[in-house]
Amino acid sequence: MRRCAIVGMGMITGPQPGRTARWLEAEATRRAIEDAGLKPSQIHGAIQLRRTGGGGERAFLTDAFPRVLGLPVNFYFTVGRGGCLAGLGVAAAMSFLDLGIADYVVLTGAVDDYSRSRETKAKGALGMVHLEKEGYWGKPFGDLRAPSHHSFFAARHMHEFGTTSEQLGMISVQERAWAQLNPEARFYGRPITLKDHQESPYVVWPYHLLDICLVSDGAVSVVMTTEERAKDHPHPPVWVLGVGFGEAMAELWWEKQNYTRLAVQTAKEQAFAQAGIELQDIDAAQLYDCFTGEVLFQLEDYGWCKKGEGGPFVAEGHIGPGGDIPVNTSGGLLSAYHFGDLTGLSEAVIQLREQAGPRQVPDCEVVLVTGHGGEVLSPGMCSIHSTLLLGRN
Amino acid sequence: MAYTKPRPNIDGDIQPFWEGLKNHQFLLYRCQQCGAWYWPAAFCRFHDNQPFAANMKWEPASGRGRIFTFNVHHWAFDPAFKEDVPYVYALIELDEGPMFGTNIVGTPPDQVRIGQRVEIVFEDYPEEGFTLPKARILEEAPS
Repeated sequence: MRRCAIVGMGMITGPQPGRTARWLEAEATRRAIEDAGLKPSQIHGAIQLRRTGGGGERAFLTDAFPRVLGLPVNFYFTVGRGGCLAGLGVAAAMSFLDLGIADYVVLTGAVDDYSRSRETKAKGALGMVHLEKEGYWGKPFGDLRAPSHHSFFAARHMHEFGTTSEQLGMISVQERAWAQLNPEARFYGRPITLKDHQESPYVVWPYHLLDICLVSDGAVSVVMTTEERAKDHPHPPVWVLGVGFGEAMAELWWEKQNYTRLAVQTAKEQAFAQAGIELQDIDAAQLYDCFTGEVLFQLEDYGWCKKGEGGPFVAEGHIGPGGDIPVNTSGGLLSAYHFGDLTGLSEAVIQLREQAGPRQVPDCEVVLVTGHGGEVLSPGMCSIHSTLLLGRN
Repeated sequence: MAYTKPRPNIDGDIQPFWEGLKNHQFLLYRCQQCGAWYWPAAFCRFHDNQPFAANMKWEPASGRGRIFTFNVHHWAFDPAFKEDVPYVYALIELDEGPMFGTNIVGTPPDQVRIGQRVEIVFEDYPEEGFTLPKARILEEAPS
């Protein structure tokens, strides 16, 4: 298969009241095409990255950003499974590029969650209740939102391994420290201490408010092409080194260890084998961080520490600015902006292009981006995991 | 008072389970060949290519198990739960094997622990046409 690379990126951050996700997709895509030094007439394929699946129904099929932009695409479709968008989208785009169906493919995702959550709050609800589809198991029992069906995983990890809320809080503190180096981050200029974390209210025990990701408006778009053209653009290409996937779906009722880990194993093996690299070759990790527990699980699942030892590991530092494994260098979903795993994808491109300013990871050559999502048929939860390895060479 | 909470999603795959609850029976989906229990409905993983789960049947189960993990909701994401917070949502490892998620009722949240034995209790809502399966803690030593 031909090597593929990201050669353009467009991004929109900050509240966008009154704008639809579709409009944000169109504008981010326009910026990505411009960033790649291309014209819209050169884009022959478009993939929408959408947080479909999960408990929410965020797809819209009434209109599409390529129509808004007037892109002469030969194909357009949606991929995504909860917060697992980037790996699925990149793998799909690569097959179209390798087949020669398009020279350039855009992948674009947008959210209007922040503005929508303001609307539902005005109606007396906490969170985006009106976006939820009817139907998954737990709703009549008050298993209503993402903190409901993620928090009991953290509780189980605490039970099995003695992990503490303070240790999880150290993940929040370190990600917030990264956000202080990112002027685009929602919580730029608002650092937190472990005391702040501990004193923030419980939302769903064992999660405090500061264990939980934020919601955002905004969009990310990237332009991909193959090695024949990858170097003909204003910015150095960001190469796809490997992509892999794992699923816990079939094991959810049987393999009771899946309550303290994510489906990392096969995803990691596939992606690292394609890239021909080892864990120590990773210069920065953009780990899906809907909640602090997911970061802890992944640090263990990828092997930065042993299963069960994630608590002491994060309490020692390691993942914040100056740490030996920089994690979520934008501030992540916890402190910067929540575009699903497109937050991690965008940060990987920024780091590999050495455009990260004060948060730039020195000599950053390989970045890991993970995705996490899926159905929330309690007791199951977000069963897919994706591993995407991006590099400068 | 009007029922304002989300109603259960009762589709064809799980309708017999909800019918059982109305009769205060807790049913699980069971393989007639090997006896393995499932919840929710599934094809038995131990036999390949059985068409339309022909070897499966809803059967009465013990309705007992152990708390595997749980959380405590302090926020009512939906205003209909405002009177309920703080409430416990638990994953129960049923004695037959499958995991089952529901509320723990009758015990203050700060006294709920992983490992406690529980049994299913039935909350009837006849005017709504369904019964909710909840769980209460049994007076046995946790393991």
